Amino acid sequence: MTASATPCFATEGLTKRFPRVTALDDLTVAAGTGVTGLVGANGAGKSTLIKILLGLLPPTSGRAWVLGLDTATQGLEIRRAVGYMPEHDCLPPDMSATEFVVHMAQMSGLPRTAARERAADTLRHVGLDEERYRPMGGYSTGMRQRVKLAQALVHDPKLVFLDEPTNGLDPQGRDDMLALIRRIGTEFGISVLVTSHLLGELERVCDHVIVIDGGRLLRSSAIREFTRAEQTIAVEVDEGWQLLAERLTAGGETVAVQGRLLMVQVPPDDPGRTHDAVRDAVCDLGLSLLRLEQRRGRIEDVFKEPVA
Amino acid sequence: MTTEPTAVIHDIGYRHYDGVRLGRGRAVLALGVQSLRGVFGLGRTVRAKIMPLLLAAIMLMPTVVSIGVMALAKQYMLPYPNYAVLMQAVIAIFLAAQSPYLVAPDLRFRVLPLYLSRPLTVTDYVLAKLAALAVALFGLLAVPLTIEYVGELLVDLPGPPHTADYLGALGGAVLYAVLLSSVGIALASFTPRRGLGVASVIAFYMFTAAVSGIFAGVLTASGHDDLAGWALLINPFFLVDYAQSALFGTAPVNIETNPPGVASVLILLAVVALAVTGVLLRYRKAAS
Repeated sequence: MTASATPCFATEGLTKRFPRVTALDDLTVAAGTGVTGLVGANGAGKSTLIKILLGLLPPTSGRAWVLGLDTATQGLEIRRAVGYMPEHDCLPPDMSATEFVVHMAQMSGLPRTAARERAADTLRHVGLDEERYRPMGGYSTGMRQRVKLAQALVHDPKLVFLDEPTNGLDPQGRDDMLALIRRIGTEFGISVLVTSHLLGELERVCDHVIVIDGGRLLRSSAIREFTRAEQTIAVEVDEGWQLLAERLTAGGETVAVQGRLLMVQVPPDDPGRTHDAVRDAVCDLGLSLLRLEQRRGRIEDVFKEPVA
Repeated sequence: MTTEPTAVIHDIGYRHYDGVRLGRGRAVLALGVQSLRGVFGLGRTVRAKIMPLLLAAIMLMPTVVSIGVMALAKQYMLPYPNYAVLMQAVIAIFLAAQSPYLVAPDLRFRVLPLYLSRPLTVTDYVLAKLAALAVALFGLLAVPLTIEYVGELLVDLPGPPHTADYLGALGGAVLYAVLLSSVGIALASFTPRRGLGVASVIAFYMFTAAVSGIFAGVLTASGHDDLAGWALLINPFFLVDYAQSALFGTAPVNIETNPPGVASVLILLAVVALAVTGVLLRYRKAAS
């Protein structure tokens, strides 16, 4: 793969100031092929970053590249090669999904016949059947999100920007959309940059996660590193947690105390040892065990820990 | 004979597109053509077709009458260059009804960001919309004029055919199309609501027509005939009529007043430039 050679997008000291707010603050980040998640609370600068990457908004300072193209000078070439699904509603209610997606394909430079074929294909892939001939004014939120996704994919881009694609969907629709995003990244071979303010859902579909807050980079790493390095088990006992903590620490375990909970780090090389040590310690001290659970390191933890 | 399966369902999965990708010009053309079709209600609901087709039909009526008069009375009754001024109310209603359709829904339903996420610029978008409306307005005028001219040739009036008048009127139709489309789009693009757009365009026409009529009337009554022609320029239809007269040598409708001549052409150009600049600025702002 050429993932490291030509990153899907890269920024260097990217800053965007609006009269009242600083949306991006000296952001330097890069992402390779596959599915990349862009996580941040509302107003963290996700949509601004996408607009800059599309070449639609000039940054205050710094530079950005998409597929090796400079956003400042090659906006048209970038927009020819990428797809964009905005966060907001963008569908004219009196058009049918088919007409609309065909039209958008033509706007990307596809000839009319090819546009028709691609629109039919793409709408099938996103899971829109007979409804696609009806005016979009009567569509449910789930169907509207599918049409928005279809118009972003219809011209077979190399990279798609999906801005909050799960917004407003019920749990089932959310799962379907996430599965679809995973398929786009793997089966379709189209790289994806997907934003969300819900951290948990991105864990399931992304290869790489970028966390920004207040326009600053908090963390950028492969999803495996997020989850693997931070495996812990939570132990709660009725009384005597101090004794247990001392005993485990003496035995060479890394223990952190969170209220009445003991968070015991599990070393990735020998996970069984820690579990055994906890079991033995609880038995030997005669404590009553209330809780013993596996804590997968979650992306949320990034926000809890102070940035190193 | 063995029964082997004759049909197999293949899941062909996702297929990449490796066909032609046309340039930006073709995308702009596609947008313009789609907009032009939409102006006449083509590819839209039946309800959307009624108004433009009805108005287009009304535009043909004087043609029919004129051909009839030419055939029966052998008289050149309705000069081509006066056609637009005669039908100005119909043209104004057409402009008011259709220019908001071109721009308001894209603003209201926020389709504009999608256009701009494709290899199109704000200027491309605005030019495609202006061109679509201008072509529609030109057609609205040129079709009846051409039918009338063909009728004149077939009827074979005494004397030479009024070819210069016809060509001058076609030139005038271009001027009407450019001026009215830029003013119509400029007014309609300031509101995302179609109803308000219709109201503002029709109000603009009624206001300018009334003001120019009142001023011209007062000036003529008080003996300032030389100034009355300038007052008439406030009405966009008389403005184009004078410009048409200055450029193509046709007789203006208001012969009794002093025609302002070249000045009318300059004013026309200034109004078009102002309107187009306004639209571009408005869209630059909407895009960011």
